[in-house]
Amino acid sequence: MIDIRNVTKIFKTKSTDIRAVDDVSMNVTQGEIFGVIGYSGAGKSTLIRLFNGLEMPSSGDVVIGADVISSMSKPALRKKRQKVSMIFQHFNLLWSRTVAENISFPLEIAGVPKKERQKKVKELVDLVGLAGREDNYPSQLSGGQKQRVGIARALSNEPNVLLCDEATSALDPETTDEVLDLLVKIRDEMNLTIVLITHEMHVIRKICDRAAVMENGRIVETGPVLKLFQNPEHSVTKRFVKDDINDEETALSFDEVRELFPTSKILKFGFVGSQSKAPIVSQIVKKYDLDLNILSGNIKRTNNESYGHLFVAIDVNDETLQKLEAELSDHDVTVEVEDQ
Amino acid sequence: MNELIKEFTTMFSFENVRWDAVWEATYETVYMTAIATAFTFIFGIVLGIILFLASKSEIKASKPIYGITAFLVNLFRAIPFIILIILLIPFTKVMMGTIMGPNGAIPALIIGSAPFYARLVEIGLKEIDKGVIEAAESMGADTWTIIWKVLLPESMPALISGITVTAIMLVGSTAIAGVIGAGGLGNLAYMVGFTRNQSDVTLVATIVILVIVFIIQIAGDFFSKTVDKR
Repeated sequence: MIDIRNVTKIFKTKSTDIRAVDDVSMNVTQGEIFGVIGYSGAGKSTLIRLFNGLEMPSSGDVVIGADVISSMSKPALRKKRQKVSMIFQHFNLLWSRTVAENISFPLEIAGVPKKERQKKVKELVDLVGLAGREDNYPSQLSGGQKQRVGIARALSNEPNVLLCDEATSALDPETTDEVLDLLVKIRDEMNLTIVLITHEMHVIRKICDRAAVMENGRIVETGPVLKLFQNPEHSVTKRFVKDDINDEETALSFDEVRELFPTSKILKFGFVGSQSKAPIVSQIVKKYDLDLNILSGNIKRTNNESYGHLFVAIDVNDETLQKLEAELSDHDVTVEVEDQ
Repeated sequence: MNELIKEFTTMFSFENVRWDAVWEATYETVYMTAIATAFTFIFGIVLGIILFLASKSEIKASKPIYGITAFLVNLFRAIPFIILIILLIPFTKVMMGTIMGPNGAIPALIIGSAPFYARLVEIGLKEIDKGVIEAAESMGADTWTIIWKVLLPESMPALISGITVTAIMLVGSTAIAGVIGAGGLGNLAYMVGFTRNQSDVTLVATIVILVIVFIIQIAGDFFSKTVDKR
């Protein structure tokens, strides 16, 4: 559906050239929700603007469906953009238009007759749950409602691809979840392909099927979301995963445990899906006659599977530890020793 | 001291005021201001949009366009209005067939104020959220659509408050034009009030001009507020 081939984007400034996107290749399949995560300045905003030709690559090709975006004529590109729509971090609604008029805007651009526009707007207002607010101006809406208008507007020409530029970054956690649920719903109902960029790992975890991690204009790691969470390879990915799971309080309490039980080791068990429900830990404890102190644990849901972590403190020697690791890995449970 | 009191007595006596002449002068001032404001609005917006688009466009040809437009705008803005009228006499003769009366003043009024308003338009357009323009581009809007459906409506409050300021400036300019024969309240104040030493006429002309200015300001504020849904 979407194919990015060796794309580089260089911004020329007076003093230096900035490689905002550096030799990126990736592909997104039909119906997928694909996330790109990175810290600010990683180049993800530029990357997503290459998808609809708001930025043109310095080299490489951007292919969506049957069209090479990077070599289309301007009129053809404008036509194509009606099918590759975009939503924004700051919503970018026209304040001078009501909710209904904002949603109708792309239809006006596409030259749809008034009658059909009104019908379509009504449908979309219902779809995004804004019935009754059609005649409000954006200034009368909350952030979440504004983004719903943004989504309805993006859907009005029945696009194949929806690009989300930090679509939830300006929203509070609860509203973020509502908007994310809405994105999944429209993906399912309209068979959309969604590409989103974000700096929030929980957005990736909640709705993405696959994700890519960006740093300094390059994609440093890419894969199914569950794999990224369970087994992050690159340091940036690890940091994002850690931010999503750990908070500083946990780290602090580890320090306390170390002080109280200097001989204990702090271990992190990682498990996925069905294992998270089996009583593996208690079996191990019985078998090796261990004293185990549970420090913290959690189970998180990705969009299709759950995975979890358990932090424990165990007074154990290296030999037993190795046996333990071997046994647990038979059950697909990973073991990591937390650094002192 | 006695002379001063005499002056004041004349001023507030209104004995020299011919009200039909005041009416006619008021009509001429309003006429000149209205026509000049209407054309200034159109030309100023066109010039302002050219300045705005040319300054942000990545197309190579836009640089000289911006340069030339900006130069002309600055040039005509820099010429003092009374000199501009004199400079434009040949042009006015050809355009309007006369250099006297309200019609004789209109070309100079427009050419003097359109560049000023163009700058106000450019400032107004620059204040539009870039993201909204980008959003329109992402929907496949062409430049015309962006001008009509994004730039103009989204900057409307600024365009209206800008034309209000410009219209008030134009009232002042018509008075200057009046001195060299354009008619209107400025002409009345000068020709009758000053040269015949009838200060009551000058006072009446001033009051009428103030009323016109207040009406323009109040109307401008009202419309600017009405269209502003932010």
